[in-house]
Amino acid sequence: MIDLTWLNELLADNRIFTPQTLAYYWGGLVTTTQLVFLSLVIGLVLAIPLAIGRSSGRRWISLPIYVYTYVFRGTPLLIQLYIIYYGVVFFDGIQQTFLWPILREAFYPALIAFTLNTAAYTTEIFRGAIKATPRGEIEAARAYGMSQSLMMRRIVLPSAFRRALPAYGNEVIFMLHASAIASVVTLMDLTGAARFVYARFYAPFEAFLFAAAIYLCLTFAILYFFRYLEKRLLAHLKPQSGN
Amino acid sequence: MADTPIPLEVRNIKKRFGDTEVLKGLSLEARKGDVITLIGASGSGKSTFLRCMNLLEQPDEGDLIVHGEEIRFKQTKHGREPADWKQVVRMRAKLSMVFQSFNLWSHMTLLENVIEAPIHVLGKPKKEAIEHARALLERVGLTARADAYPAQMSGGQQQRGAIARALAMDPEVMLFDEPTSALDPELVGDVLKVMRDLAVEGRTMVVVTHEMGFARDVSSQVIYLHQGLVEEAGPPQDVLVNPASPRLKQFLAPKY
Amino acid sequence: MLDLHGYGPRLLEGAGVTLQLAVLSLILALALGLLTASAKMSRNWLLHKVATLYTTVIRGVPDLVLMLLLFFGGQMALNIVTDAIYDRTGLDWYVNLNAFAAGVVTIGFIFGAYMGETFRGAFMAVEHGQIEAGKAYGMTPWLVFRRIRFPQMMRHALPGISNNWMVLLKTTALVSVIGLSDMVRVAAEASRATHEPFTFLIPVAAVYLLIASVSEWMFARLQKRYNVGFGGH
Repeated sequence: MIDLTWLNELLADNRIFTPQTLAYYWGGLVTTTQLVFLSLVIGLVLAIPLAIGRSSGRRWISLPIYVYTYVFRGTPLLIQLYIIYYGVVFFDGIQQTFLWPILREAFYPALIAFTLNTAAYTTEIFRGAIKATPRGEIEAARAYGMSQSLMMRRIVLPSAFRRALPAYGNEVIFMLHASAIASVVTLMDLTGAARFVYARFYAPFEAFLFAAAIYLCLTFAILYFFRYLEKRLLAHLKPQSGN
Repeated sequence: MADTPIPLEVRNIKKRFGDTEVLKGLSLEARKGDVITLIGASGSGKSTFLRCMNLLEQPDEGDLIVHGEEIRFKQTKHGREPADWKQVVRMRAKLSMVFQSFNLWSHMTLLENVIEAPIHVLGKPKKEAIEHARALLERVGLTARADAYPAQMSGGQQQRGAIARALAMDPEVMLFDEPTSALDPELVGDVLKVMRDLAVEGRTMVVVTHEMGFARDVSSQVIYLHQGLVEEAGPPQDVLVNPASPRLKQFLAPKY
Repeated sequence: MLDLHGYGPRLLEGAGVTLQLAVLSLILALALGLLTASAKMSRNWLLHKVATLYTTVIRGVPDLVLMLLLFFGGQMALNIVTDAIYDRTGLDWYVNLNAFAAGVVTIGFIFGAYMGETFRGAFMAVEHGQIEAGKAYGMTPWLVFRRIRFPQMMRHALPGISNNWMVLLKTTALVSVIGLSDMVRVAAEASRATHEPFTFLIPVAAVYLLIASVSEWMFARLQKRYNVGFGGH
């Protein structure tokens, strides 16, 4: 058992940050992390084939994907969340199906909305990176007799992923911040916990500044993680020193 | 002639960057109609010296007298600075600079470049400024390019345009900072011709250059700098034809 | 047809709120951004630190959290002030924080940080020789700023400003959470009341797309103007 008396003593002096409210924040942090992590992973998996399709020369493939990314990047995430949330909740007859216990929870509509949103942004990030592949590399691959798919897999995608890394890092931070709107559909994420604490104690500064501080730490953690990744994966692009 | 003030006088200019002293006490006096060329190897301090003359670099020591008016300095925690920036602005308007990389303002057409400072710094009426500018552009052979943007012009055209821009200020002294060094060899001639004409016309000029032919033919005085000091100075026939310093001899020796 | 169960006029009003909010916030953000960029580039140590703190914190915290903090916190701060006035002078003065003003200030404040970074990068991208030529011709610092630095900076800043504007536009949807009747709030209310979410939310989404497309076109035209003389168009 970890001795938490020091924590209790520290908290004894204030009426807001009781072990109970801290538990709310902890629960909120877990929900936020789950939502963001899951939507990013699923979004990433969706974005790869979508980006390849979006880069395709065949318009019947690239155009629908473009419409999808244009709509999801051009409208507020809050509206997308409302459409999916209310669309599901008010769908006739859904209350009677076996899915209802799952869908009634705001978590899944939020996850769907976030996933579709981040997939749209990530698709465009990857498409930009694919487009920026140096012509010479493609010509070299063709000259060595690589097929279109082999070239995509072995040459274009690996270098495109690396090029996309900085922009994707921004997208991850963007998603973390955007996830705060989950609280609008009654989800108890980190912001939801802060709103709950605010409503209960009428202490806006304490409630929201505490949440803001946690978000700030998470943001920096993501920032440094991506910087580290960039350093590892993009080292070969920097001119070598001392030759 | 004695009562007209000397256009530009600099005395004992010293300048250091960090631990290296790049100018170790340089002086120069440009009287009306003088063409003074500064020559020397790269790193000799000739460009820095020129940039000190209109205070694009701040000299750590030394005096600067423009048209009889001495620039006042004060010590700040960032080093020595002009005491009165208004005075500097006034003084810079009398010294026009022509840069190695032209530095025509890229968001303005050539004509707009030429009329910019006369209108906004000297307060000339626009109509008059445009008339003057057109005449100057004709002089440098760029009438047809008045409405072109710098990016649409060759290096030689840009530099001739930059000279027109400098002339539009009716400067007391023109400062040239290696005006032909960034040009393709076949474009150098046009720019040098414009500069020769200016010299013949009696313009006061201080020119940093590598063009020895120009230095020999048109300058009234040649100053050879070495490591921040004047190694040899005098009329071109002495300095360039019969150099005394072995270092200058080597500098002037043809390189194959 | 456009009656939308009687919500039509209110939705239209909401669209007006969204647009006003976005434009006013943009103006505030641009002003704050210029100030922030100047502070970041200044030699003054304190100004530099304050500006860095501002951009770092704002960009590290979700918009919604900042909005809740500034709106509810701002109301509380106002209450404290008015209470103090009551205690001292007996003047009973209750000021309700105007949700629209709070929205403009919050969004402007948030995007001021992003604009600050955009402007700073753009100012740094202006070639030094261009500024030097201005100085060498006797221009005062203000004249150099107005005639050279600013127009050249704008060319580099416009893509970033355009990008920030698109994000800002979408961020205005969040003000519905602090009680402002923008078009998102009206549409959400109508959806709940009628159980017909698509009828209201999809047209609202379309309005956002429309504004985004129109502004994209406008920014492209502006860019063309500021691009003049670069790369020989």
